[in-house]
Amino acid sequence: MKKKRFPGSKLYLALITLITYLPIAVVVVFSFNDSKLPVAWKGFTLHWYQVLLQDHALIEALRNSIVLGVVSCAFAAVIGTLGAIGMARVNYRSKGMMEYLSTVPIMVPEIILGMVFMAFFSLLNLPFGMVTLVIAHTAFCIPYVFTMVKARLVGIDPSLEEAARDLGASPGRTFWDITLPLIMPAVASGCLLSFAMSFDDVVISIFVNGPKLSTLPIKVYTQLKTGVTPEINALCTIILAVVVVVLVVAALLRRRK
Amino acid sequence: MKKKVFAIALAAAAALTMTTAVHAEDNDELVLFTWEAMFPQEVLDAFTEQTGVKVIYSNFDTDETMLEKLAQAEGGDYDVIVADDYIIEQAVQAGLVSEIDRDVVTNFGNINPLYQGQFYDPEDKYTVPYGAGIPLIVYDPTLTDVEIKGYSDLWNPELADSVAITANYRVINGITLLSMGKSMNEEDVSVIEEAGQKLLELAPNIRLIQDDNTQDSLLNGEASAAFLYTSQVTSVLAENPDLEVVYPEEGLGFGIMGAFVPSAAPNAKAAMEFLNYLLEPEVFAQCMDYIGYYNTCSAADDLVNPDLVVPDSVTKGEIIQNVSAEADEAYNKNWTEFKAACGQ
Amino acid sequence: MKKKNRWGLCVAPLYLFTLLFVLGPMIYMVAISFAVDNGDGHGFFWQFTVENYTKMTDPVYLQCFTQSFRLAFSTTLLVMLLGYPFGYFMAKLSERGKKTMMFLIMVPFWTSSLLRLYGWIIILQAKGVMNGVLMKLGILERPLKILYSYPAVLIGMVYALLPFMILAVYSSVEKMDWSLVEAARDLGASPARAFLTVTFKLTLPGLLSGVILTFVPSMGLFFIADILGGNKIVLVGSLIQDQLTRGSNWPFAAALAVILTVLTSLMIFLYRKITHVKDLEGIF
Repeated sequence: MKKKRFPGSKLYLALITLITYLPIAVVVVFSFNDSKLPVAWKGFTLHWYQVLLQDHALIEALRNSIVLGVVSCAFAAVIGTLGAIGMARVNYRSKGMMEYLSTVPIMVPEIILGMVFMAFFSLLNLPFGMVTLVIAHTAFCIPYVFTMVKARLVGIDPSLEEAARDLGASPGRTFWDITLPLIMPAVASGCLLSFAMSFDDVVISIFVNGPKLSTLPIKVYTQLKTGVTPEINALCTIILAVVVVVLVVAALLRRRK
Repeated sequence: MKKKVFAIALAAAAALTMTTAVHAEDNDELVLFTWEAMFPQEVLDAFTEQTGVKVIYSNFDTDETMLEKLAQAEGGDYDVIVADDYIIEQAVQAGLVSEIDRDVVTNFGNINPLYQGQFYDPEDKYTVPYGAGIPLIVYDPTLTDVEIKGYSDLWNPELADSVAITANYRVINGITLLSMGKSMNEEDVSVIEEAGQKLLELAPNIRLIQDDNTQDSLLNGEASAAFLYTSQVTSVLAENPDLEVVYPEEGLGFGIMGAFVPSAAPNAKAAMEFLNYLLEPEVFAQCMDYIGYYNTCSAADDLVNPDLVVPDSVTKGEIIQNVSAEADEAYNKNWTEFKAACGQ
Repeated sequence: MKKKNRWGLCVAPLYLFTLLFVLGPMIYMVAISFAVDNGDGHGFFWQFTVENYTKMTDPVYLQCFTQSFRLAFSTTLLVMLLGYPFGYFMAKLSERGKKTMMFLIMVPFWTSSLLRLYGWIIILQAKGVMNGVLMKLGILERPLKILYSYPAVLIGMVYALLPFMILAVYSSVEKMDWSLVEAARDLGASPARAFLTVTFKLTLPGLLSGVILTFVPSMGLFFIADILGGNKIVLVGSLIQDQLTRGSNWPFAAALAVILTVLTSLMIFLYRKITHVKDLEGIF
């Protein structure tokens, strides 16, 4: 019996969402602009898409970014989720301190994290490249998963798990059948956030990426520095289109089921 | 079942990391480390065609990031680096630069001697100059009535909230010193502090401080006057030829970018060949036309865009050099105070 | 007798990772903050000094801290005011509506945040989209010079951080037990009272994590201030950036980072105390 108490609520949601999409719309529109500068509309062109398709370095960077995002997101999901669940049940003295420490990577300005990681990794003699990128990204992805799952866990009714246990389910079984489904939305949003953060990170990556590896954001960043070529707008538009298509198809398939 | 999927996903993820991480060391690769968009792709492709060596174009954002990474790699990892003059001096001092092999770089004589014997490489042992620049003032006469002749005109109250400047603290401190009749490389802390006071008076006129795409502000109407790097001047004039370019009467500052081979370059042989290849007149001209900096290779003078051939005035320009730690600290403080004052 | 706690295994990866790759680097950072900067050129040498900390009392640097906190506060407040209702309303949508909204919120994350900032520049600049529309409509006679000002920075910050608040609030409203609200209503509480005493309290954990997810990054998002503010507002983040790159003074940068970390932690700790959410373990 949820009563609709705020008739304006949908309008509010729509308005904020619209504003969110405003700058993106501008980026998309200017990917078709026949001028190097994003100042005035000079006519429609697909030129920037042609330029983009010939840019192997950029496509390679995109591939790296996806691998990096998926891998570090997976690590963060496992470590963060297990950590949050475990933390709710253990009573170590170090617990408070550890929880604080694990969130430090998002409390420290990125540039510091980047610089410290670089110094620390070379102290450990780790080869700079995908490994160092994954470690660094996992470090700042964990807090997103961890905080989300933790916030979710706080409100979960413990009697559900107790009931399962009373009915003879092993702790493992209880976890898979009861706890995990309950926290899954939080794990999912934590993962999505982590992936997004990893997919967008410049400042940390630029310090730990090593000589031969470049990620998409690094490419975008360095290109923006030398001049906003609409090639980047074009790439953004394509990624956006792919994401929208994939998500929509996924949603349709799920509904068919 | 879910567990299994999870485990497989994890294993796959780990495997993926490993395969991407383990990259066979290749002698057919040359890692070129510099800012984005410093070389036209055709030039790099042609080199690969000639020698079979694949060029990996790797970017840094600032000179200092480059030096940090090079220092962490102890002079390894990278084969050819292009960076600014002052940072090369630091790299040389830190022992991170190897000498140019003149037996391979036979085109060394093509370099314009004007850009040789500079402070960062007095004996021309380490670097091949790759473009030079002079920051200049550009303004839009339709937006302001002030006729700008030099740096001091930027202080004119009529330009309130409409000046764009680059974000190099030494250069901006430098032009303030030039407008006071001092050297850009002033070492006397009390004089630097005086310049700091004068800089604070400039704050109300500043619309934005930005290193990248500063020139856009003249085109999109944000600023009526801007202090720009050479490549930016070239680019803004291409978009709007009606803008006025000012060679400030108080004197010019200039900077040189140099290419060098790090001390432990994995593929030093190819690196030297690459430098030699760059110094081919046609290649060099193509590069300069692309980046829009003044040509530093005399042999290419006839081939390059005539606007990029050195004006005589460059010789009178002063180059920014590394100063003592105390002076540098004072410059830094001036800069922070100035930026904070601009935000008020 | 103490039963062996198998949950210890669950936290092991987190413990290991955190100790090795968070605590390790952090200790290193603290160590650097007490080292001496190598005046000429890059690097530093290990010699104990507190000078990096005493240097911060200079008014210029103190000003950076106040400006940063002011901006972080205003940003967090605005994000809270805009994001809480959003997350709340969103959680009350139909299942399909929720999915659509979630989709709409996540998609922008896939475009480069830097590029979205450039989108704002195109919109806000003097000859930009916004001024063009307003002038065509006759609302404005002369273009608004909003770009490279404090409001522009604020817009950028709120824009970048709003989704975090929305997601956090949404996830806590979504899992809320609505029967409690109904019970309160049945007992005669007004809708407003029921909201304040039940809903708000139950969603406080979400709000709290939203505040942390916005306040903390807003201390470090200097590039927004640089790009939309024309580099004129010096935040601690930009100061650190300056010291690392132009100044190449690692020890001072590290000291600034240490102080920033301590201050942010303190703020969050205070926030927790003031809002009385100690029963929910919070973030620490």
